[in-house]
Amino acid sequence: MKTKIIPLLAWLLATTAAWADTAGAVPPCCANCTAEAAPAAFSSRSLYQLEGKWTDDSGRTVTLASLRGRPVVLAMFFSNCTYACPLIVHDMRDARDALPPAVRAQTRFVLVSFDTERDTPAALRAYRERMQLDPDAWILLRGSPADVQELAMVLGVKYKKDADGQFAHSNLITVLNREGEIAFQRSGLQDGIAETVHAVTLAAR
Amino acid sequence: MNRLLLLLLALAAAPGTVLADAPAGMMLIPTGDYVPLLRSKDDPASVPVPAFYLDVRPVTNAEFLAFVETNPKWQRSRVSPLFADPGYLGNWAGDLELGPQAPPNSPVVRVSWFAARAYAKWRGKRLPTTAEWERAASVGFTTVHGNTEPAYRAAVLTWFSEPTPSPLPAAGAGRPNLFGVCDLAGLVWEWVDDFNTALVTGESRGDAGLDRNLFCGAGSVGARDTTDYPAFMRAGYRSSLRASYVVPNLGFRCAESP
Repeated sequence: MKTKIIPLLAWLLATTAAWADTAGAVPPCCANCTAEAAPAAFSSRSLYQLEGKWTDDSGRTVTLASLRGRPVVLAMFFSNCTYACPLIVHDMRDARDALPPAVRAQTRFVLVSFDTERDTPAALRAYRERMQLDPDAWILLRGSPADVQELAMVLGVKYKKDADGQFAHSNLITVLNREGEIAFQRSGLQDGIAETVHAVTLAAR
Repeated sequence: MNRLLLLLLALAAAPGTVLADAPAGMMLIPTGDYVPLLRSKDDPASVPVPAFYLDVRPVTNAEFLAFVETNPKWQRSRVSPLFADPGYLGNWAGDLELGPQAPPNSPVVRVSWFAARAYAKWRGKRLPTTAEWERAASVGFTTVHGNTEPAYRAAVLTWFSEPTPSPLPAAGAGRPNLFGVCDLAGLVWEWVDDFNTALVTGESRGDAGLDRNLFCGAGSVGARDTTDYPAFMRAGYRSSLRASYVVPNLGFRCAESP
């Protein structure tokens, strides 16, 4: 993870420099942001404005904003899901396999759990192993109920916990561009892989 | 007039009584049950709702103005498009000016779920859950079952049948229900914190997991009470929303846990 942070830092610095070149182009929404909170202003449609703190399957705290600069394919799921979620992950994997190698290398595949109780880092780790999700490409996250709710609201994901602890939920795969803006959403469990691949490829340019 | 009397009583109530415990402008909704309109096969028939406080009336334009004055990022021209669609506070005359279409005492509308939630947080409150809101709205004017109380039912259905007036009338002018809460029906629709748990759109047939087919014709057979038309209306309305939506007849009120 440490080695991944260095290129990201370099990229952030480069972006900051780019912002400096276009002085005055800072969106008005960020006029009040403090320097330490936002080294380079997020676009007004960026999901990276969300301040939620997430924990990955190795127990590290991460923010979504740490994904800035890469195309991201993101879905909400829960690890005890036996019906739709494995299909969603399968489709994300298919999309990944169909990406041009250079795009595939920089794209991250993010799964965020609804199940704030059962999906502990250990449970997510077990899921990663069960589904054979490459640690270099896949990020599995858990968060507080409030952060999960806020992310779901921004993505337009509906979900409801039922009596036996399962979740009814929208089946939605979202592609984020480098700035964390929603570039494409695949809704449902059929088709849309080619469109997803296309959206990621565009986002990588 | 009744409402005024109730308010005065609430203010004058001696310490130790239930009313005196309620924060200003709020009513205690005692512990009770919420009977969901629609549920998955294994869900319980009713859900316990612990006692909570609920605003007597929806949040007004004047109150929301105070919020955006101290929280500039929620002003009309500054709000992030991620958190509110175009048209946010669109009936106001300006960023900090209400104007003729937004009387100070009328409910604030054209606010997104994000904005409503931010307001509630600023007030040290929160949005009510679906269960809480429905629990508060389940009673009539004089009985505990609004749906079987002819006068109450008629009032709700009359509201459904009439177009939304513009500008909206003042919040809190409606007849209080048995809990002393006004305007749960008859003025505006209201955001609830977990509106996105209503999985009953066309979408639920296409892309949601367990509740598919819930709202297509036959789905209503599994409903708690097929005569509770207002509850169907609310469930359908909520399921059609997204958190960034701003709607001319959709406002909100706040809740608080004791």
